[in-house]
Amino acid sequence: MSEESRNPVYVERMSVLFRMQHMLLIISLLVLAVTGFALMYHENRLAQALISLEGGVLYRGIIHRVAAVFLMAQLVYHAFYMLFSREGKRELNEVWLSRRDFDDFLQAMRYNLRMGNEYPRFGKYGYKEKFQYWGATTGVFLISVTGVILWAETFSMRFLPKFVLDLTLIIHGYQGLLIFVVLLFWHLYIVHLHPSVFPMNMAWLTGKVDAEWLREEHPLEYEKLKGEGIL
Amino acid sequence: MRGKFLAAMIVIALGVGARGFFSPADARVSLEKCTLCHGKPEFRKILVDGKIRDLLATGETLKGSVHEKKTCVDCHFDVSEIPHRQRPKRVVCTHCHYKGNAEGAPQSDAYLEYFGSVHGTAIARGNTKAPLCQDCHGSHAIRKAKDPASAVARRGVAETCGRCHIEIYAQYKTSIHGVALSKQITEAPSCTGCHGEHKIYGHKDPKSTVFATHVAEQCSTCHASVAIMSKFGIDSEQVTTYQNSFHGVASKFGSRTVANCASCHGIHDIRPPEDPLSMVNPKNVPATCGKCHPGANPNFAVGKMHVDSHKKESGVIYYTALFFKYLTIGTMLALIAHIFLDMYGRSKRLRGER
Repeated sequence: MSEESRNPVYVERMSVLFRMQHMLLIISLLVLAVTGFALMYHENRLAQALISLEGGVLYRGIIHRVAAVFLMAQLVYHAFYMLFSREGKRELNEVWLSRRDFDDFLQAMRYNLRMGNEYPRFGKYGYKEKFQYWGATTGVFLISVTGVILWAETFSMRFLPKFVLDLTLIIHGYQGLLIFVVLLFWHLYIVHLHPSVFPMNMAWLTGKVDAEWLREEHPLEYEKLKGEGIL
Repeated sequence: MRGKFLAAMIVIALGVGARGFFSPADARVSLEKCTLCHGKPEFRKILVDGKIRDLLATGETLKGSVHEKKTCVDCHFDVSEIPHRQRPKRVVCTHCHYKGNAEGAPQSDAYLEYFGSVHGTAIARGNTKAPLCQDCHGSHAIRKAKDPASAVARRGVAETCGRCHIEIYAQYKTSIHGVALSKQITEAPSCTGCHGEHKIYGHKDPKSTVFATHVAEQCSTCHASVAIMSKFGIDSEQVTTYQNSFHGVASKFGSRTVANCASCHGIHDIRPPEDPLSMVNPKNVPATCGKCHPGANPNFAVGKMHVDSHKKESGVIYYTALFFKYLTIGTMLALIAHIFLDMYGRSKRLRGER
């Protein structure tokens, strides 16, 4: 089917509220990454330039902590929203991990390795999206814990030996790197480089996706929407 | 008669010759004339404040000094009559000591650094207590700095500085550096080792070698040297671990309030951690950290301070860092592998659909 011959139908994938949360998440995570990695790799020339750009070590720290508070607030808000709002509950149900996702993953691998004939059929969120969501959420939660320990360094040092703080610092940095790596590679793949969306899935801006794309990549969701009469 | 005349002619000729060909200072006051008064041991002056100023100076006074071959008026050139009516002015060393001098003084511009230093500027502002050259180098008994008997020799300079900086000298004398130097350990720094020689600046002057953000670098000149530190069994990585800590990074980027070496270890009173008077003795650590981190308790002293996560000796920290390193690399590789596999699978799927 060529592009011109069909009249594309769009369906909502990200509501306004989720798009806003996504946007705020981008901002705070980028600020945290830039300020954080500048300190982590302070021996690097680029990192040194970044620290100077951020107004020196003192302001780098302040910016990092402001962004961190912002991110933690988003995490709390998001948790409440997902648990208690009507839309949130529905989305949580969609993104909830189940045995099925692991089976889907194995099935996809078997298919990709020519050991199976059937590619898994995904709902609104396949195992790729779920891995992204839960990976980032858990990562953000854990990095907040180590971040708070380091922030309240005098308080922490009164109870924890210096050794634990050294360890916390190491873990905090690597957690950041891990979150960054996962988000970067996974985003690059699912919403940019994947041939079905290249160069970019516009849903994060418009909120809408082509129903045809949904039929190909998330057939269960497509059928569900069809069943509900939305399509 | 004839003989006397000839002798007189020779004297005049020599005098004229000396005037014409050598120096105009033929009217110079000779050493013998000076010692008429200054050669007497009891020749001294009682000053207004009751102090006694010894004015003894003989032919022996300059012996062994770098000015051994000089005579009184070479430096005290404002004395042209005996007895001199006024007190001679303080000797101006730069009369000879400048680069390009013809007097045989060392061809060095080092003295220029003095004028910008804390001492030189204090003099310029009219502080009569600030030191001139002769206050540190000595007036008559000036010796080369390398001569152990010199007032500015490494071993003796602290005492020289201590004549004015009395309290600091007392602190230094009992510090690890002062004690080491008194034990003939020549690697140990004296005042000039950290503060510099002529270009000494106040510690709040950014030009100073001991300005807050320069301290780590200054200490590292010895403390980062394996050659020096291994002799005394001191870890030479303390500076590196500091530089990689929050304190070190902040200091490097210009924070003046963050802790540098001296904030924790002391300045002139640096002592080894085993010393109960040391600022980094476990008993004193809470107070030391508490200067900046109010509420610091004995728990602050638990464990090693200077930790390098890249070294195996750091134990769990090293292995955690290693674990995370490979976890991150592994995750990256897994993600990339998955991406390629999935792309491949997708192309297969598309082919199948066609």
